[in-house]
Amino acid sequence: MTMQSNIVKKIYSSANEYPDKTALVDGDRVLTYRELAQQINAAASYLINNGVVKSDRVSIILENSVEYVIAYYAILAAGGVVVALNTQAKAEDLQNWIVHSGSKLIFLNSMNRESGDLLNRISDNYNIVEVSSCRVVDNSHSIVSWNDILHEKVTDDNHAVVVSNEDLASIIYTSGTTGKPKGVMLSHGNLDANFTSIIDYLSLTSQDSIVNVLPFYYSYGNSILHTHLFAGASVVLENSFMYPKKTLEKLVEHKVTGFSGVPSTFGILLNRTKLEEYDLSSLRYITQAGGPMPVANIERIRAVLPETELIIMYGQTEATARLSYLPSSALEQKMGSVGIPIPGVKFEIRDDDGNKVSDGVVGEVYASGKNIMCGYWRADDITNLTIINGWLKTGDLGRIDEQGYLFLTGRKSDMIKVGGHRISPVEIEEKIIELDGVEEVVAVGNDDDLLGQVIHVYVVHSNSNDINERDVRAHCSQHMASYKVPKTVRFVDKLPRTASGKIQRYLLKKI
Amino acid sequence: MSVEEKIRGFVLENYLFTDDQSALENNDSFLEKGIVDSTGILEIIAFIEEECGITVEDDEMVPENLDSVTNIVAFVGKKTS
Repeated sequence: MTMQSNIVKKIYSSANEYPDKTALVDGDRVLTYRELAQQINAAASYLINNGVVKSDRVSIILENSVEYVIAYYAILAAGGVVVALNTQAKAEDLQNWIVHSGSKLIFLNSMNRESGDLLNRISDNYNIVEVSSCRVVDNSHSIVSWNDILHEKVTDDNHAVVVSNEDLASIIYTSGTTGKPKGVMLSHGNLDANFTSIIDYLSLTSQDSIVNVLPFYYSYGNSILHTHLFAGASVVLENSFMYPKKTLEKLVEHKVTGFSGVPSTFGILLNRTKLEEYDLSSLRYITQAGGPMPVANIERIRAVLPETELIIMYGQTEATARLSYLPSSALEQKMGSVGIPIPGVKFEIRDDDGNKVSDGVVGEVYASGKNIMCGYWRADDITNLTIINGWLKTGDLGRIDEQGYLFLTGRKSDMIKVGGHRISPVEIEEKIIELDGVEEVVAVGNDDDLLGQVIHVYVVHSNSNDINERDVRAHCSQHMASYKVPKTVRFVDKLPRTASGKIQRYLLKKI
Repeated sequence: MSVEEKIRGFVLENYLFTDDQSALENNDSFLEKGIVDSTGILEIIAFIEEECGITVEDDEMVPENLDSVTNIVAFVGKKTS
């Protein structure tokens, strides 16, 4: 059924209801909901006046910022599809995603180290909106400044191009490889379903506020941004977690009610700050997702913040963001679980043949719900392997107990998870094999107390050349985001293989 | 080897993967230049604790002490004086 369901209308609702309330705090800049809506409208006018029509893809390569948020909603308001790209990525990956998505226009910041290289790589067909005051030197592209688009004449009080629930709102590139990018397609209906559920189970209201340290270009940060703005809450941006004391000071200063992180966020807070010395009495809830957090850290958080709800969650980008949550009240009883499905989501555990198994039996986790992605952009083959009759094949292994709580036990795929980042080992291997002197290479994720996993690679030398660990890491650093650079490189004579020649990755993890 | 040389060597080897001294200015901000991330700064702290025989207290984990080679050298100097 086609209906007027542009998700940007949720922001306009918040602006109507709470016009003078703070929506965003970005350093010294504070934006009310009225100002946010006005600036979204101006930017949407610019996009519409410059030819962006329904279903056009528009890339954003911006750190968390006021500009990111305005650009995101302006694209939706114009009926476009947001392609928010990882700002840690190298220019070659950014170029690959821009071309693959077929983006028409790009929002970027020339302060990003890769911007210059990116502009050299892409054709002059792209319109560029530059958000920093230090304008990039480039004569070949059509570059417009952020200030110019905010002064665009607004022709409509509330731009919101008519879309249906099924129309695409966003493409999020996740752990694919250079030759096979995986762009998760999320519709307006996906976003609406998932964010409505999250607002429901977190009981978010306009009284809430959060200091956000998670990148918006990932699904976890993306969900935090939108759920809070849809609820009329306030989002305080904190782009770096390098100095956790500074983040804690912001939590205290803004008396926020919420804080969200991945396991390493809490590991650092617990081990490198005096958490107990800060007045965090305003903190109503903490959420944790992005991989399993050690039980010892869960217990330490509970001890330091006994009045704060600690909500453990599980999700995937392919499910918009969230699949399950463990209510704080069930934490002790169900320690180690990632909880129950969020409203609107169903789980099934299935065996290798795709048959549902009984409670308590370990199998692959399948999920269904209105939040499950439409598929991977321009990749029907991987979509068909991942969405089976409307069910998302998560690649995670787990069991469901008799009360319906999900316990994850491992991963079926070889995907590596470093901190909040999901990385395909094939991507690392493809990059390292380019080097002279490398005959074979395998990347694996080994357990790490802080990050969950770290990348180790095993390299077999070819006879022709000699390379060392630094050569391999330098090559990775030059071509890939820093979190994809292997922690260690080990040179071995041969790789362990099965009789049929398949590499036995699990044996390498034990070396 | 001086503290400055040790820090420079560690950062060049582990985050910039080079021995080209020109790749790192002593005043380069680790944060703004994207040289290290939140786990990298923990590794730098572990390194200076081990190499310089000091303990970096939680309250001392601030950019004024750690965000560049210059800041670290001054911080270590203060701690060891």
